[in-house]
Amino acid sequence: MNAPASFSLGSIPTTVSTGRRKLVNVRQRSLLVAKLRTLWILGVFVLVTVGALARITYLGFTGVTARHGELGDLLIPNRGEIVDRNGVPLARDFRVYSLWFNPKAMTEGSALIQSPEEVAARLVRIFPDLDRDEILGKLRAGKPGYLRKSILPEDANKVHALGEPALEFPLEATRFYPQGSMAAHVLGYVDSYGHGKVGMEQAFNDQLISHDGRTKPSVLSIDFRVQSALEDELSTAITLSNAKGAAGVILDVDTGEILALASLPSFDPNHVKPTDMVISAQEAANGDVPHGFNRVTNQVYELGSTFKPITVASAIDAGVVSDLGKQWAATPLHVGRFTIHDLHNYGASLNVPETLIHSSNTVTARIADELGGVRLKQTMEALAMNQRPYVELPARGFPIWPSGEWPRLRTMTVAYGHGIAVTPLHLASAYAALVNGGIWRPATLKKLNAAEIPEGRRVFKASTSARIRQLLRMIVQYGTGRKADAPGFRVGGKTGSAEKPGAGGYRHHSLIATFAAAFPMDKPRFVVIAMMDEPQGTAATSYQRTAAWNAAPVIQRVVPRIGPLLGIMPDETRDIDISDLKPLVPQGSDGE
Amino acid sequence: MNFTSDRVRSIGWISVLVICGAVSIGLTLRVNAVKSQVHDTEKRMVWVKQDIDFLETEFQTRSNQQALKQLNDLEFGYKAPIAGQYIEGERQLAALGKAAGPGAPQPIRYANAEKPEDGDGSSLLAMVSPVTGATAAALPEGADKAAAKGRDPEREAIARDAAAIGKRLARIEVAEAAQQ
Repeated sequence: MNAPASFSLGSIPTTVSTGRRKLVNVRQRSLLVAKLRTLWILGVFVLVTVGALARITYLGFTGVTARHGELGDLLIPNRGEIVDRNGVPLARDFRVYSLWFNPKAMTEGSALIQSPEEVAARLVRIFPDLDRDEILGKLRAGKPGYLRKSILPEDANKVHALGEPALEFPLEATRFYPQGSMAAHVLGYVDSYGHGKVGMEQAFNDQLISHDGRTKPSVLSIDFRVQSALEDELSTAITLSNAKGAAGVILDVDTGEILALASLPSFDPNHVKPTDMVISAQEAANGDVPHGFNRVTNQVYELGSTFKPITVASAIDAGVVSDLGKQWAATPLHVGRFTIHDLHNYGASLNVPETLIHSSNTVTARIADELGGVRLKQTMEALAMNQRPYVELPARGFPIWPSGEWPRLRTMTVAYGHGIAVTPLHLASAYAALVNGGIWRPATLKKLNAAEIPEGRRVFKASTSARIRQLLRMIVQYGTGRKADAPGFRVGGKTGSAEKPGAGGYRHHSLIATFAAAFPMDKPRFVVIAMMDEPQGTAATSYQRTAAWNAAPVIQRVVPRIGPLLGIMPDETRDIDISDLKPLVPQGSDGE
Repeated sequence: MNFTSDRVRSIGWISVLVICGAVSIGLTLRVNAVKSQVHDTEKRMVWVKQDIDFLETEFQTRSNQQALKQLNDLEFGYKAPIAGQYIEGERQLAALGKAAGPGAPQPIRYANAEKPEDGDGSSLLAMVSPVTGATAAALPEGADKAAAKGRDPEREAIARDAAAIGKRLARIEVAEAAQQ
């Protein structure tokens, strides 16, 4: 541009060298620009190379991480699975078809191609239990809504064949319990808002909806085969004795893991009805509880004579009972206006093994009197009888616990299980401590690794526990618990029949019949508690309402079913050595 | 000449770039095609997995403990085995083979035919390895010698044991006969 401008000014180039110099300048400038550009490109290349090398090095060191795409997420359930101790699913997410009426599916004209009457009639033909009038009302109303929840794929195909675009069947995730009503109180259910209710669904709610809990199943300590056997036998016992309800728990004595926990009547978590959770005031006044109520952890009972071995253990531990052959007076005991007496007369005096074998209230009261309220209370506190039961479930009943200093009469009644009301789970944990060498451990519904087993606390000396094992076995061999003896399984345990308190004192015809057992007594592994609520005397129970005729046979039937599953093989050539105590009891007499 | 050679070099570089570009585009397309195939396969896997879950749940529901109990009550009537049906350990097993007591009935004896004796003097069937299926006692002796370096002492012990078991049993019989 400079040159033409200079021409226009009329200046004439003076020398050739001036033009050349200019050309040289232009060339130099161009070269400079080219070099700069080359440098830029080089810089970019260097950057890219460095970046690529850095990435390669990073990948080389860290490795390529797995891609968690949307597809992988599809396989993760909305709510984690709950499995038993062997990995068998007890609660899982399940995608089911629902029948949904969408009146806007047809853009023009009426919502249905056929008449609503015809569609309703055809739907009733596919689902015979549908209410035709109700369905017809929904179809005529023209509002979107469910016609039916949870339909089978083949039924969905039949609905599809009706050729109605307004009838849709979306696939929806629901909570499903493959074992039906089994372990319903342990599992609980999920309400329509997706919140866990009642059992571990409520206790584990946060864990089950967390990412970690959704990918890994939550493992319970329950063994579903053992649970099934317990429920089955309790249900048989209800039928035989015409009882109002029953409860049972099976506990590992060395870890505190609950292998089965049953409360009957139960409910089906797949179809929870409002009446399962709430009952009328009339029914409540009648002493009934809703089916969703957990009798093992939430209901407290006076468990009667099952407390006697605890009192005796406390007395042996304290040195009050050092000679098991010592005779104690067994005559009725008058304390103030109250008289403690036995169900039957077993003579003027009894020794300790006889006391337990015949379940004598008077001798147990006398032993407790000598032991003193303070020490008996300490033992009960050490067995956590003054707290809600230790378990993860949300429904945990508070015991009826006499606080303050126990007067003489209170000490005596607590000794044989009256005036104190605890849950069957309290009793199971206490019996575990009685037979496992004296260590109390909290009960748990989580499967524990060897490292997770709690250390527990010592309640009884190991020697006391060994004595109690002998005494419990003798009760089953010679005493009130004979109907609990399962041949070869070396069962030991204690009956307990307590009258239920009512409005005007104890109701003499309403009993709570309990049997607390442990097996095998030569090396106890499991505690089994069976409790019948208000058994009636029927022909099947020889018209008896006590534990010996109602709860003890449950143990006799359950133990042979669960023993081999839990690694306890029956062996009639083995038993606990009771030769030192055998001479103290004349065999053959019975009582309650 | 310089200009021409520069030009040629530029054209060369450009061609290399174009070829590389074309190759990389082709490669990218191929990679994406494979990726989409992988995605499709993953989708199918998810569907299959969901189907499996569905079927598993159905099987679990149909075979739940309550259904099995009803089936057992109705069809089979199986009961828990009693103590007498279990054998715990070798001691109990041995107790079953106790010598008959005085006055016990004679054991029922079945007719049998003696197998002609083999070279090792044992009438029993030789032990068969569950892994190889080879008959331990019947191994040709030559084979052992041939594989002298790789001799298997365990197999030889089994072979010796199998050969001698007939003699050991015979001794027991003799002892029992003496008692009677």
